[in-house]
Amino acid sequence: MSVSESGHSSGTVLEQVGDNIIHHVSNSSLDQPLIHLPPIFGINISVTKHVLMLWVVAALVSIFVIVPIQKYMKKEKPVPSGWMNAIEAIVSFIRDAIVKPNIGSKFTDTWAPMILTFFFFILFANGIGLIPIFDTLGATSRFLFDVPKGDDHYFVNKLLHGGATVTGNFNVTAGLAALTFFAIIIAGSKAHGFIAHWKNLKPKGFSIPISIMLILIETLGMFVKPFALTMRLAANMTGGHIALLAILSFMAIFAEMVNPLTGIGLSLFAVPMAAAISGLEIIVVLVQAYVFTLLSAVFIGMAINVHH
Amino acid sequence: MEDLFLIGVGLGLGLIVIGAGIGIGRLASAAAEGIARQPEAADKITGAVNLPLFLLEGVAILGEVFALLVLLMTRG
Repeated sequence: MSVSESGHSSGTVLEQVGDNIIHHVSNSSLDQPLIHLPPIFGINISVTKHVLMLWVVAALVSIFVIVPIQKYMKKEKPVPSGWMNAIEAIVSFIRDAIVKPNIGSKFTDTWAPMILTFFFFILFANGIGLIPIFDTLGATSRFLFDVPKGDDHYFVNKLLHGGATVTGNFNVTAGLAALTFFAIIIAGSKAHGFIAHWKNLKPKGFSIPISIMLILIETLGMFVKPFALTMRLAANMTGGHIALLAILSFMAIFAEMVNPLTGIGLSLFAVPMAAAISGLEIIVVLVQAYVFTLLSAVFIGMAINVHH
Repeated sequence: MEDLFLIGVGLGLGLIVIGAGIGIGRLASAAAEGIARQPEAADKITGAVNLPLFLLEGVAILGEVFALLVLLMTRG
């Protein structure tokens, strides 16, 4: 699957593997967009793979979370059943175990919706990267319908470029972290007033030179927090997929460098290993969604519950 | 000359992993000891361990991203 799809590059397998792995986790190129759109203000806004996946994730969250909850709220006697039970368990866990201890009971209802949105969006976006939709689609179209692999006029072939995990893209996570950045400022302003929020950055009870240093550090920290959120999520989601592809690529590398039988023999170890890493990735998917929401809640809570 | 960059990146990655490993190991051992002494406080201890664990992991990942950036800069 992984090595045969690189297509354009030539040379030995060892030379192709690096590009091929990057090709499988990064966004598809703007030169070959899925849907071509005219540029606005000189910015190319054509739809690439990750943009498409963002839409898919948004649609899935709407169908599986927003619509059931809206239906549930309209009922006369709201008693959860089936899928609603799962949603309610998650919602009450996030509200009681993440938002309430960190933000405080006064502002729980203000910020719980945003934290919940983060959680569901990141969970769905992370999770969809583990499902090999496009690999299955590509294999079906190539082997069942005989679509040639280099031909980019077929929409399915265009879909094969790039990775499916949107949260593995630094731009997406930067967007999410930017929301946290503004949420911190708004939370502080709501709790203490706009001016008082900025005054809270200055710790009280220090001499002037130390205060100046601390203000610099606090200002830096204001930007480092969302930056760390961005990097943590994107790097975690990309790292697991790279490890998975690298282990699968060993088969092709050894098959060429030693002999084909070695490659087949190595597959006995590589494939179970890849399966195990996929299992680990399921944990990572859940943990990273939890971490992003927890840290967002902690940072918002730090702006609200200022203590010196 | 380019190989020296690669050695630097590799050494840096190794040091990051050592640092993160020591940090997470100490955290886990302290948490395990705490839970062993007071099993009824397990929930509280787990909650208190989570946040520093993720912050620590974040620092390690930042280091890895910068190592990757150095690698990409030397290549391109």
